[in-house]
Amino acid sequence: MQDSTGTDRDVNDQGLTMDAAAAASIMAEASDRARRRLQPNLRAFYAVRGAIWILGYGLIWLAVRGQHPFHGPNAGGYAAVVLISAAAVGLTAGQVQAETGLRGRSVLRRWAYMLSVLAGFCAIFALEGALVHAGASPSVVGIFEASAPILVLGLLCLVRFSAERNWVAAGLGLWMVLVAAVGGYAGPATVWAVGAVAVGLAFLLAAAVEARVRRA
Amino acid sequence: MSDDELNPVIHTPARLRIMVTLATLRDGDDLSFTGLQDLTGLTPGNLITHLRKLEDAEYVTTNKNGSGVTARTAVAITQEGRSALREYSTVLRELLDSAGMSQNENLPA
Repeated sequence: MQDSTGTDRDVNDQGLTMDAAAAASIMAEASDRARRRLQPNLRAFYAVRGAIWILGYGLIWLAVRGQHPFHGPNAGGYAAVVLISAAAVGLTAGQVQAETGLRGRSVLRRWAYMLSVLAGFCAIFALEGALVHAGASPSVVGIFEASAPILVLGLLCLVRFSAERNWVAAGLGLWMVLVAAVGGYAGPATVWAVGAVAVGLAFLLAAAVEARVRRA
Repeated sequence: MSDDELNPVIHTPARLRIMVTLATLRDGDDLSFTGLQDLTGLTPGNLITHLRKLEDAEYVTTNKNGSGVTARTAVAITQEGRSALREYSTVLRELLDSAGMSQNENLPA
């Protein structure tokens, strides 16, 4: 069997010919398929996380706004926390499923990141208990409750993604650290609205940037 | 410039698919045999045959861990394999350019 160049060099082991155009087409198709399957869809990941963040922090803000004196979230607020946690677990499970068959450093890095998030959240709950035990006011505890998760996630994002040179995610991490640092000045109730808007919209912006980067 | 300049070890549909798929992995990562089979659409027998050729050229490595039902064969691309694929891609772009074809815009970097 001969190809368009008149040689039989391109006859493959399955008896099919392949010219340069066919090779280019195979490369593009195989690369696209592998990327879709093996690399997480960051655009969807950011968009969903942004929606969860706005919903979760927004619900808690609705539960605590207008409280005089401030006494913290009610059952609705805690339901929002459960919603955020369940959605985060669902997203993580989806990510792990997407990498079936993949093993190595990047999978280890992802697990290390998830364990760090878990450790960070356990530490937040423990510290909150210590604050309450030491007699901190509900306002102080409220600011800590809203800001500490943003600080932990922001720092972990910044460290992990700077090392991976993922500047969109690293920038998002830096932004979260800034929001955690100054958001508390808005007060124990409004800090939740600041978190919902500043972090949630930043995730949605990251999704838009990621979509643009992918198209480029 | 002719197709003769394309690396014959890579220049077959099956091996090109395998190489491009493995090249999407980051350094230090590997893919299970079944995962690679799923992504390339090759039968196990075909995949083994092509992997042997790529292994002989030191473009890929295969490692079998465990035994029996827990056995897992991991496939990874080597640095030589990445270099060879980059060179293949460069030659292919030049070929397409010289032929005035536009597919080179869709080639992975």
